[in-house]
Amino acid sequence: MMRALNSIQQRLSISLIAVLILVGLVLAQMSLWLFDQGLRRYLENHLQDEAELLVAALARGANGIELNQQHVSAAYHRPFSGHYFCIDLDEQQWRSRSSWDFSLPEPAQQGLMQELVDGPQAQQLLIVRADYRRFGKNILIVVAQDYTPMLDSFRRVQWIGGGIGLGALLLLVLLQRYLVARALQPLEQVRTQIAQLQQGQRAQLDAQVPQELQPLVQQINHLLHHTEDNLTRSRNALGNLGHALKTPLAILFSLANRQELNSHQELRDNLRNQLTHMQERISRELGRARLAGEALPGAYFVCATELPDLVGTLAQIHGRNLTITWSAADNLRLPWDRQDMLELLGNLLDNACKWAQQKVALNITQDNNHFILTIDDDGPGIAPELRTQVLNRGARIDEQIQGHGLGLGIVRDIVEHCKGELGLHESPFGGLQVVIRLPAPNS
Amino acid sequence: MRLLIVEDNVALADELTADLQRAGYAVDWLADGRDALYQGASEPYDLILLDLGLPGKSGLEILREWRATGMNRPVLILTARDHWAERIDGLKAGADDYLTKPFHPEELQLRIQALLRRAHGQVNQPQLDVAGLQLDEAHQTVIKQGEQIELTAAEFSLLRYFMLHCGKIISKSQLNDHLYDGESERDSNVIEVHVNHLRSKLGKSAIETKRGQGYRFIGIDSP
Repeated sequence: MMRALNSIQQRLSISLIAVLILVGLVLAQMSLWLFDQGLRRYLENHLQDEAELLVAALARGANGIELNQQHVSAAYHRPFSGHYFCIDLDEQQWRSRSSWDFSLPEPAQQGLMQELVDGPQAQQLLIVRADYRRFGKNILIVVAQDYTPMLDSFRRVQWIGGGIGLGALLLLVLLQRYLVARALQPLEQVRTQIAQLQQGQRAQLDAQVPQELQPLVQQINHLLHHTEDNLTRSRNALGNLGHALKTPLAILFSLANRQELNSHQELRDNLRNQLTHMQERISRELGRARLAGEALPGAYFVCATELPDLVGTLAQIHGRNLTITWSAADNLRLPWDRQDMLELLGNLLDNACKWAQQKVALNITQDNNHFILTIDDDGPGIAPELRTQVLNRGARIDEQIQGHGLGLGIVRDIVEHCKGELGLHESPFGGLQVVIRLPAPNS
Repeated sequence: MRLLIVEDNVALADELTADLQRAGYAVDWLADGRDALYQGASEPYDLILLDLGLPGKSGLEILREWRATGMNRPVLILTARDHWAERIDGLKAGADDYLTKPFHPEELQLRIQALLRRAHGQVNQPQLDVAGLQLDEAHQTVIKQGEQIELTAAEFSLLRYFMLHCGKIISKSQLNDHLYDGESERDSNVIEVHVNHLRSKLGKSAIETKRGQGYRFIGIDSP
């Protein structure tokens, strides 16, 4: 089932995945970015407070203005703690102990520095500059905080979010496949029915389908009907034409037989020859024009239904003590038009019956993609050197062998029409074996 | 033997009638299917030649109706439809044989002879061979102990009827019904004359007279 839906299913899946990935990524990035911005703003406030605490920690001492270390947070004392400051007051400068040998850059403007700055030990520093005026002097304070823990947790969130997103995506895709398959169920049903049509298991498509499929189904049914009609009409027309030509021919045959011609034997023979040629030609051409080729749905040749009738008919025609047997697998259908197949088998079996002494056998088998029709008789057979001649197109020996008939000619037409092969062999019964291999049309 | 031809083509029907009459058959002809349906069942025909494409009612329908009502006279379909599918349909409808147009007149004669023989229980014989006599239907003569005996047309038809009904009592009216077509004058004295001619050619004992009942054909090798 999946194979049939492949194209639509895949197209839907691919676009869905693309949209989901795009939207998911944009959303995730956007929210991370917003969170990042919010966090920085919060930390900026925090650093501003720190700066104010530092300003408050400045006091006039014995040696002028001094930084009261007691009021400075312990984090500024631990080396590379991630919290740093730098205070510039005229010529005086205080740096946090924690910064050790690292000197903080001095931002050009007040407030938060847009970029993170590389700090010691691969730290990424968030830097705030705050300007104050105290003791009649300009005080410039730069406070920094390591931002890497935040960045790390962002990265972790990204990983986890990515994982969850991927899982959700997978789930969605599976769900979507299921939903699409369900939504396409009617399409799948139509596909199955078309396959059944091809195998001749139904004559038309079920008209009970969703609205969207109705035009398609109706059109297919209409076409089937139309084709069938056309075939019937053209066959009827050919039948009428045949009737119109053959009845006068029958009269001419009868006229050629008149006693008045008894004294003109040569004239009679000539007439009969020409009439026979006309008859053969007409039958052959009309027969060829009637061929339908691949079967329309419902017009398959079902061995188990057709063969008993055909064999019965032959037995009736040939009377004598002739045993005609047939064998074919149960439910075997030949995927060609019923009438064509009857014509093919009828002519071959009729030929075999004419020559057989007692036994004629028909065997129909199917291998991978060929149907093999074998007809055996216990008659005189055809000498190996003559067989190729019989098969040669245009050779008239078949007609001589047959008496006055064109059985093999029509057989050859049908076999060619079905793109098959015709072979003559020696039968295990001692007579002629005709083997026909017809390739299955859809292989 | 009396035959019915159901054929809508006048020219062909004329030819067939002439051919079959020359072969010693009494022949009636109908062109319309509805007439054929009725007359084919009511008149005592020995064999019916039936075309399929008929005005009024198709040949296959007629045949099916006949068979459905138990009419079991031999029917030979004579048609231009030469496809096996149609042939099967025809024989399934109850035909005894199927001959396609155009046909050789000799072929038709042979088929009719074979059908008549078969209908009277003589299966698988190339010619009518009964009670020491062989009828040569092509030359309208009879062979008695290797000797070929010429027959007139009337004697030939009569003998053929006798030979097909060997051993059975046949009334004069039955002979009238089967040896003359629907339009001929019927005169039982004529039949008596022909029976006497046959006796003089085949031997007196070949045909018995059953007083008040009719005739019985015995042939020459019966006691």
